[in-house]
Amino acid sequence: MRDYGVERDLAVYNLLLDVFPKEVFLPRNVFQKIFIHYPRQQECGLAVLEQMESHGVMPNKETEFLLLQIFGRKSYPMLKFVRMKLWFTRFKNVNPFPVPRDLPTDPVDLATLGLRRIEPDLSAKVTIYQMASSRDSTGTADPTEQHIVGIQSPGQQAALARHSPARPVFVEGPFSLWLRDKCVYYHILRADLEPPEEREVEEIPEEWNLYYPMQLDLKYGRSAWDDYEFDIDEVEEGPVFAICMAGAHDQATLAKWIQGLQETNPALAQIPVIFRLTASTGELLASSSGLEEPCPPPAQEEEEEEDKTQRQQQGQS
Amino acid sequence: MMVFGLRARTCWALRAFAVSRRPLRSSSRTHAFAKELFLGRIEKKEVFPFPEVSQDELNEINHFVGPIEKFFTEEVDSRKIDQEGKIPTETLEKLKSLGLFGMQVPEEYGGLGLSNTMYARLGEIVSLDGSIAVTLAAHQAIGLKGIILAGSEEQKAKYLPKLASGEHIAAFCLTEPASGSDAASIRTRASLSEDKKHYILNGSKVWITNGGLANIFTVFAKTNVVDSDGSVKDKMTAFIVERDFGGVTNGKPEDKLGIRGSNTCEVHFENTKVPIENVLGEVGGGFKVAMNILNSGRFSMGSAVAGMLKKLIEMTAEYACTRKQFNRSLSEFGLIQEKFALMAQKAYVMESMAYLTAGMLDQPGFPDCSIEAAMVKVFSSEAAWQCVSEALQILGGSGYMRDYPYERMLRDTRILLIFEGTNEILRMYIALTGLQHAGRILTARINELKRGNVTTVLETVGRRLRDSFGRTVDLGLTGDLGVVHPSVATIVEEQMVLKRVANILINLYGMTAVLSRASRSMRAGLRNHDHEVLLANIFCTEAYCQNLFTLSQLDKYSPENLDEQIKKVSQQVLERRAYICAHPLDRTS
Repeated sequence: MRDYGVERDLAVYNLLLDVFPKEVFLPRNVFQKIFIHYPRQQECGLAVLEQMESHGVMPNKETEFLLLQIFGRKSYPMLKFVRMKLWFTRFKNVNPFPVPRDLPTDPVDLATLGLRRIEPDLSAKVTIYQMASSRDSTGTADPTEQHIVGIQSPGQQAALARHSPARPVFVEGPFSLWLRDKCVYYHILRADLEPPEEREVEEIPEEWNLYYPMQLDLKYGRSAWDDYEFDIDEVEEGPVFAICMAGAHDQATLAKWIQGLQETNPALAQIPVIFRLTASTGELLASSSGLEEPCPPPAQEEEEEEDKTQRQQQGQS
Repeated sequence: MMVFGLRARTCWALRAFAVSRRPLRSSSRTHAFAKELFLGRIEKKEVFPFPEVSQDELNEINHFVGPIEKFFTEEVDSRKIDQEGKIPTETLEKLKSLGLFGMQVPEEYGGLGLSNTMYARLGEIVSLDGSIAVTLAAHQAIGLKGIILAGSEEQKAKYLPKLASGEHIAAFCLTEPASGSDAASIRTRASLSEDKKHYILNGSKVWITNGGLANIFTVFAKTNVVDSDGSVKDKMTAFIVERDFGGVTNGKPEDKLGIRGSNTCEVHFENTKVPIENVLGEVGGGFKVAMNILNSGRFSMGSAVAGMLKKLIEMTAEYACTRKQFNRSLSEFGLIQEKFALMAQKAYVMESMAYLTAGMLDQPGFPDCSIEAAMVKVFSSEAAWQCVSEALQILGGSGYMRDYPYERMLRDTRILLIFEGTNEILRMYIALTGLQHAGRILTARINELKRGNVTTVLETVGRRLRDSFGRTVDLGLTGDLGVVHPSVATIVEEQMVLKRVANILINLYGMTAVLSRASRSMRAGLRNHDHEVLLANIFCTEAYCQNLFTLSQLDKYSPENLDEQIKKVSQQVLERRAYICAHPLDRTS
């Protein structure tokens, strides 16, 4: 049914069920009622209902009437129908983050939907840096501009403003996000964690609050067995400053994104941006991966790994 | 499980009063949920499951809701209405065209003919502006309700079509300068004219909403009624008075604290001729008419306030999440979160209670849900005041400024505690009506026990034995210290005791409503039903603890009962009509 595109259409399922002869498969005496009467036909009916279930189609009174006429009240398809009627209504709202059934076809809308799923914070702003230019009807010219949609919350903006220009930020990607049967790819702008020596301890100034002290220095003399701070499962990651979804995964498009970001984050102009793009898997065009800096990629990544292992060792000791 | 818990709680709740759990003969389905609560019985059939409307009805009501909501958000300027003190005529015209002036008028007379549930639903939106809500309520819920409930066919056919379309506006005239809550002491007189075809009405009414705009008044006046035994008594009668009858004048609109857009003024009747066909109900039956009218419109306050609170939560949350202090947004501070939880919880309880009452009222037959409606009104008005105050607090200084709507909403909600029966009077009503009902049944039982009716005795003894084995809760008429509450005979005077009883009952009704709605949401799988369960649990736990404390205060000689001391203090203060303590700086030498 997927070939005809009618797998979500209830009327079609009803018509399919209509194909069964009515009143032939009804059990007539008690022996027929004990055993499954016309088992293959019941299995066939069950298969139709199962396909309805997997596509999330809710059966209606017509279906009930048909099943009643075809198989009778005590048959397995009728039982399945009753179960579907009960559980579908109960499970309709079970997903706390529902994806809408009909996804938008416009890539910009799809990108906005995806970004809102990644960053549900209501104060984050979605900006469309570039709309996809329409394709020519002749199809000779390739679209040179792809859409670029980005999202950034005020907290991320503040963090980026605080970020020191000595440390680079990385554009990483593309990572995939599946929305039902569509896959969108996003890139993130992130920085590494500062090593503990350089980490700024946020000082709470003594005279901050007029009314009550913001920090109490009560030393209870806690020793090692009372220390609940360290959690072996929580890994601290570096801050993520912004996320974007773009049509193409090459450096040029992403550079346009960074330029767009620079309007709201002037600090970004001073910070070196390194593009770390991996080869995209899947449906879109193969992207060019490259680095801005002259260092070869494997050496950089090795250094990264060494840093990470060093940090882990420090954390564990 | 939860029902068992409820039952144990209610038993414990009424151990000073209740004795029996089940009547001798199974009574026919009584539509009195709150009254049965007084006997320690929860009529589960009434409240579980939560009343539902079919999908078609829901679609129909949403069809209504859309344009009205749009109108209220876009075209109604509440600030202007508040400042000028009147509702602009275009707004009134638009309301009339939307059909909001005849929501409960049956369709054959030109109204919308909505059921109670749908009326409550529309009330949620209308309450976005307090003045408009009060004007509409005064017109329909009390003004023309009298004609619908107690009017004859000719009266209905004559008056309802014009009232439903909004051409004429109705008002309800009961309060006088000397009688507010004390309705039976009104002094307006209606005497029969010589030709016995008219009543001459003389008197003045005060604080009449829509007094300046209305053409049709439901006036209550004292008439001479000849009793069956020949004695002439003064009894209250209800009249439908049109402004065209002559002699009807109104004073200037009053300058009020809140709901400034609604028109409240004095109405004077001077030798107004009212034809005898305009008597509502029967001569001398005005008291019952007044009671029925007032009892039927109360429950919609719950949903109206809930609608307003929902809007309030949205506005305040927007502010709390964006404003930053001490480098953190306000929403991260515990005290602010507590306020939001309080608002959400109260809104949920109010909604559940209102729609439960509306559903009970929509049952076939004429169920008597006056106590439930009173409970809804008391709870919602007090919760409204508290929540709006808290919301203003969240905004801090900006909440206090007139630029923001919070102070206007605070002023508008203050009237909720006063009109449609002051909360104190309604608490007395809840407690006394319930006690009357329970008392009637219990005295019947006690009489039967005294007479030595064998079956009754055995039943009671059997029940007590079973309970003493099964539960550890004492179900006797005796209280904690083994004595019946000493003031059972003069219970009407003991207002503080009655207030506590009423509070317990209101909490219980709230708990049932909330549990019913939460369990139905879980079963139906509505979205965010886990959030509803959280709200329900929080409210029930808090209400339970409050009930326990109130119960311990009920015993006359318990240490928590401070009635004696309170009475002494008030007596001494009122004797001197001043604060009598010596000044802290006073010295004797």
